[in-house]
Amino acid sequence: MANDEPVTKLEARRSGPIAPFRALSFEIPSTFIIRHSSFLPPPPPAVVTLDPTLRVSPLATGWHRAIHRPIEIPVQTTPIDQHACRVISVGIGRPEIAARSFRFAEPEAGALKTSEVSKTSEDCLAMKAHGLQPVGFESTKTSGAGRSIAGQIRIRPPDDVVKLDDRLRYVLQPSLESLLSSRSLGFPLRPFPYQLEGVAFLYPRQAAILADEMGLGKTMQAITAVRLLLHGGEIRSVLLICPKPLVSNWRREFSQWAPEIPVMVIEGAPARRRWQWQLPSVPVRIANYELLHRDGELLDACAANGTPCARFDLVVLDEAQRIKNASSITNQAVRAIPRDRSWALTGTPVENGPQDLVGIFEFLAPGFLSPDVKPGRIGRTIRDYVLRRTKERVLADLPPRLFCDAELDLTPQQRETYELARDEGVLRLTEMGQSATIRHVFELVLRLKQICNFDPATGASAKLERLEADLEEVVQSGRKAIVFSQWVQTLQRLSGVLRRFRPLEYHGRIPAGRREAVVRRFREDPSHPLLLISYGAGGVGLNLQAAGYVFLFDRWWNPAVEDQAIHRAHRIGVAGPVTVVRFLMLDTIEERIDRILQQKRDLRDTIFSGVDGPRRLGLTQEELFGLFDLRGPGGSANLAA
Amino acid sequence: MRTIEPNPSYALGFLTVLDCADCGLIGGYLVLNRTGRPLEFHCTVPIKPNRAQQILYGPTLEPYLFGEQIGQALLAKGAVEPEVICTDRPAALAVREFVEIPVALVLSGGIIEAPVDGAYLANACPTPAEGVVHRLDAPHGLGPHHLAFRLGRNHLAVSPLAAGDRELIANRLGELADTFDLAEPFERIRAAIEEARRGGGGQ
Repeated sequence: MANDEPVTKLEARRSGPIAPFRALSFEIPSTFIIRHSSFLPPPPPAVVTLDPTLRVSPLATGWHRAIHRPIEIPVQTTPIDQHACRVISVGIGRPEIAARSFRFAEPEAGALKTSEVSKTSEDCLAMKAHGLQPVGFESTKTSGAGRSIAGQIRIRPPDDVVKLDDRLRYVLQPSLESLLSSRSLGFPLRPFPYQLEGVAFLYPRQAAILADEMGLGKTMQAITAVRLLLHGGEIRSVLLICPKPLVSNWRREFSQWAPEIPVMVIEGAPARRRWQWQLPSVPVRIANYELLHRDGELLDACAANGTPCARFDLVVLDEAQRIKNASSITNQAVRAIPRDRSWALTGTPVENGPQDLVGIFEFLAPGFLSPDVKPGRIGRTIRDYVLRRTKERVLADLPPRLFCDAELDLTPQQRETYELARDEGVLRLTEMGQSATIRHVFELVLRLKQICNFDPATGASAKLERLEADLEEVVQSGRKAIVFSQWVQTLQRLSGVLRRFRPLEYHGRIPAGRREAVVRRFREDPSHPLLLISYGAGGVGLNLQAAGYVFLFDRWWNPAVEDQAIHRAHRIGVAGPVTVVRFLMLDTIEERIDRILQQKRDLRDTIFSGVDGPRRLGLTQEELFGLFDLRGPGGSANLAA
Repeated sequence: MRTIEPNPSYALGFLTVLDCADCGLIGGYLVLNRTGRPLEFHCTVPIKPNRAQQILYGPTLEPYLFGEQIGQALLAKGAVEPEVICTDRPAALAVREFVEIPVALVLSGGIIEAPVDGAYLANACPTPAEGVVHRLDAPHGLGPHHLAFRLGRNHLAVSPLAAGDRELIANRLGELADTFDLAEPFERIRAAIEEARRGGGGQ
């Protein structure tokens, strides 16, 4: 090979065996490029054939024969000795089931003969004959703190029932809705859920106060509870005591809500009343407070002779605030009635102070409530005995009450007369000194209030002017109005002046026999849009939902009485909002009294809210004298309600 | 099997068992008259199965305790024979083997979703061969299936071993099935047991 030809080791391997693990490399002398400046075609590639065959020779290990040899499993047999086997028994045990048993006697057929429960066609026809519908009670929603399970109202045992048997007897009762349905007790109107709660509250209680706000249907709740107890055979004789003006109202309510229950009103000559008291098999008797005084000896004689009037299963007091004075004759008379259960119905359980409740509790549970208990603690103490609901709480859809305080100035004539009378009165009280009594103060207050209504000399009245203007508007809008005053004389004067409105009157001078007709005409006759009522005669028991306006011509001492008056119109069945107009003469005794009335409202709310309230409760003698900036002789006095 | 003296008064029995987390099982049995008023109430003291029972009874423990033990003990205490016994616990249906009174499982009231009438509650499985009754349970693939049906306002079921109870129950409940909510008394029993646990006394 010439020196100037490229030399590769590959060429060298062409001539000899291939060294397989030698790396191929190429040497290109640098003189190659210089000497061969012109391109020369490369020599054709040489083909080299390689033999890829891998020659393997196995290594002899001697295991092959072992693979085909069978596995040898050594087995060792050990005989079992049966006599050595122990049997262990696991006692499962049968548990001894101890049980407690309670048996409840089926109530006897009560004073009312009740048939087998079934909604037969005869039952439905009988109810319809009384104007009742077999109201079905599906799952009802309860408002407030309803004791309901799955939408049904349960009768719960009161806290004073401690024996387990007695508590279970209540717990195991069906729901109130079931009880009513099973007894086929129809209602003319479907009760509200809160009313059924009230019935469930009264039903198991030996002592109870139903203190719902006026207009929520305390009457209906009491009648329904009585009805259930009579039908269930748990009571046989009921005595209901109410103010005399309400006797006919109760008779009417019983005929509406419990027409199947015989009701007897104790009235008439003494011989007749004696016979009525002693008549057996009368489930419900109605008497008035006044009559109770007269027939006290008769009832004592019944007790001595063991006649039916000797003992009542249930005594119900309506307007129970009548017995708030524990030392009054009325209170003593009702407490003397032999009875098992005692219920009190009142929309105003607290009028003047906590001692009012003490008086009522002396009837319900003598000695239970001490006069020394603080107002904040009274609520907790009596919680299980008292049920009170307000309209705002249970009747969210009841139309509202709209208060409109008409603050007026005395006419010049009234102002002159007023100041003269006030100065003279105050001077007289000052001269009397320690001999001045509450009575003297009352007389002055009443005189000044009358001047606020009308000037005695000229008849001028700022209130009347305002009332006439308002009534024009009320009548033109097709609405009706009620005007309250504490004086019959004032009402009669208004009747004359407001003749063009064809007013009706309802007060003590209207004969009792005509009063129902007056109320009916006001409700039904559109030509009589105005009713003039005194607080005394018309404050309780009347249903006057027809009136959309209530005028308080003069204010009462007691906010509870005023509220009662308002609730004559603002109650269940009212069609729309009720506007309440309260007249207030500025810079007069009325303005001062208004402040005190507001304090009393706060007191009532405090007692039933369970929190401590204002220290000064009620109206002390100092406060009365303080109306005229006088210093009283000291001590406390109850203001006339 | 205990025989109860027949009583002319119409009565319904309600049997249930409460699971109390800290005290065990408490059985309650309430007997009501036609109007739903209580005649008798019986409740057991709390019962806890021991470990051997839990292991050896396995899935049959509840029917054994609810039906054979608690149910029998409570029904034995009753002085009034009910026309029908209702229960809201499927396992308590086992008491049917020990009494001559039809027993109904109350399905309405949300305790057990009411199925379509005639449906089986468990997975469908072949009925036992005639003449041979096997007591098998769900974990073995063959479970007790209840025959559900609707009666008035109530959804009920009976044990397949007492399929004839369906007709008996319908006859004995009669018109009550339309008006009486058979699930409601169990709430009373629960409340009563709670009251009894708080108080004391009784027989």
